[in-house]
Amino acid sequence: MGKILVHALCGVSFDAAEGELLTIFGPSGSGKSTLLNLMGGLDRPDEGEIFIDGENILKLGDDKLAELRLTKIGFVFQFFNLLPRLTALRNVKLPLSIAGLAEKEASERAREMLRIVGLEARIDHRPSELSGGEQQRVAMARALINNPKIVLADEPTGNLDTKTGWEIIQLMKRLNEEKGQTFLVVTHDPQIAEVADRTIHLKDGLIEQIKEAQKGKSK
Amino acid sequence: MKLSRISNVAWESMTQRKLRTSLTILSVVIGITAIIGLASLGEGFRLEMRERMQSGFELDNLTLIPGSLFAGLSRERFYDYDVKNISRVSGVKAVTPVMQVGNVTLYNEKNNKTVQAFVATAVNFTEFVEIFPDRFVFENDTQPAEYGDDTIVIGHKVNYPTENDTTPFAIANDTVTVTLQILNQTHIPPFYELNYNFTVGGTLRKTGTSGITNFDYWIFIPLKTARRIYDTEESDLIFVKVYNPEDSETVADQIEALFPLYKVTILVPLTFIKQVDSVLGTVQIFLMAIASISLLVAGVGIMNIMTVSVMERTREIGILKAIGAKSRTVLSMFLMEAALIGIIGGLIGIFAGYGLSYALAYALTGFVQPQNQNTVFQNPEAQPITINPVFSLTWTTMAFVFAVVVCIIFGLYPARKAAKLDPVKALRYE
Repeated sequence: MGKILVHALCGVSFDAAEGELLTIFGPSGSGKSTLLNLMGGLDRPDEGEIFIDGENILKLGDDKLAELRLTKIGFVFQFFNLLPRLTALRNVKLPLSIAGLAEKEASERAREMLRIVGLEARIDHRPSELSGGEQQRVAMARALINNPKIVLADEPTGNLDTKTGWEIIQLMKRLNEEKGQTFLVVTHDPQIAEVADRTIHLKDGLIEQIKEAQKGKSK
Repeated sequence: MKLSRISNVAWESMTQRKLRTSLTILSVVIGITAIIGLASLGEGFRLEMRERMQSGFELDNLTLIPGSLFAGLSRERFYDYDVKNISRVSGVKAVTPVMQVGNVTLYNEKNNKTVQAFVATAVNFTEFVEIFPDRFVFENDTQPAEYGDDTIVIGHKVNYPTENDTTPFAIANDTVTVTLQILNQTHIPPFYELNYNFTVGGTLRKTGTSGITNFDYWIFIPLKTARRIYDTEESDLIFVKVYNPEDSETVADQIEALFPLYKVTILVPLTFIKQVDSVLGTVQIFLMAIASISLLVAGVGIMNIMTVSVMERTREIGILKAIGAKSRTVLSMFLMEAALIGIIGGLIGIFAGYGLSYALAYALTGFVQPQNQNTVFQNPEAQPITINPVFSLTWTTMAFVFAVVVCIIFGLYPARKAAKLDPVKALRYE
């Protein structure tokens, strides 16, 4: 049995402006997550170019890519991906620890970040003691702790009920507006997609259309 | 990521899986305990043996046997000019020839007792005493006033043939009749038997075996008298005393050079001791090598456990990589775990090893008793063997380094496996 080459993405080309909230919308299997992984430097395309801050990240070595993820990119996942044995505070601190920041300063910053996402009362809880929404807030705090240029969120509401999902997306929007960080959110929920400044519609690895948000539509 | 952070993280993940970590550490502990225990006890045993042999052998004495041990049937003898030549070799302090006659019977008319002696040795008493001052020692510290032509000195076992004998066969100044076998020219029986009367000069204290000689079973008569009886100028053995035991091997070489090839065999106690010492050393290294295998087995166990651990933590590794941990950081986290297992296991093993060897030494002290007190070659004065474990900083350090290195080497494969994980696949791993 030979391997069959599948083009997950083909001819996808777009720009995201600094401070923009962009959603990537499409049904499952359309290549959304692959696109996000490529932009985050977790995966490499067979062909193409990806520029972050004017730098072609595909020319970076693995170590440089890791550094890029550490300093310029924050990830939020559908399944939160927190380390189960660490408290909320330690989870948020993790990127700072990897960066080699002093413990005390890292703790202070993590505490502040948890306050921003509204979890100051839960800092010593482990993920298993937190609700889904709370876990996602911790994950957001972790993504933002290093003050990244870009936050990549892969179905951040996909594992939450509608109300909690909406709260999370509103939190993202608030942070986007307050801190001016670029947010790229993958979703298959049309309601969530509409919150964005722009929505890229993906289908079968191709861009179907790019929709600008109409003024006043975002709530 | 800083090394201190990495070791913190490694330590945390180890304490998360306490049972697994303890068992892995235990396997290292067992290996190191075995190595340290064997090294420490083995060295103690070797030192004890060396000390025993040094006290059991008179290191400054050489024994010359005529002929070669290769040519067992040769009928070589020594002559007086041999003795003279040997006395000129530098490093030789004293030299004396002796004649030996086997199976002599002694009869004491006073108490009507008869005893057998294993060997009658004809010696020059004044020279002989100089060579064996520690063994040619008289009972009750009595010394004959002078050695006459008819003086006989009786060994302890000849004087008291069985353990139950409380009264001696003879005491000083008794007259005993010695029956000597006179060989004919062909050395084939029948022999003549002749009786001679000797005056007892003294009886010897029990001294036991030293090297190949045991005076307890011997009687001593003057060489001059024996030569007259047997009408010969030849001698059967030559004893040489050297000034410095360390030189005994070079002196032996010089003496050997005085004789034609295969005409003399020289027993050098130092050589024998060195050989036994080196054999014991080899055995010790061999035992330690076997013990080291258990550490390798522990290493394989570590590899196995860590590979499982990497699989279990695939998602965690994916998360770490996604948020910016370098492959090198992941690698060092796992290697640090392996190293910590080695460090902890090694330290515990060192303590356990020395603990074990001291406990064993304590338990075994007096347990190993010399057997068969009454054989010719057994030293009756032998003490129970006591083994004192030896602490060696070199071995301790080496065993510790070995433990850590083995752990790191076996941890390398799983650690590399973890470092090489593709973050996208790792994040998707359930």
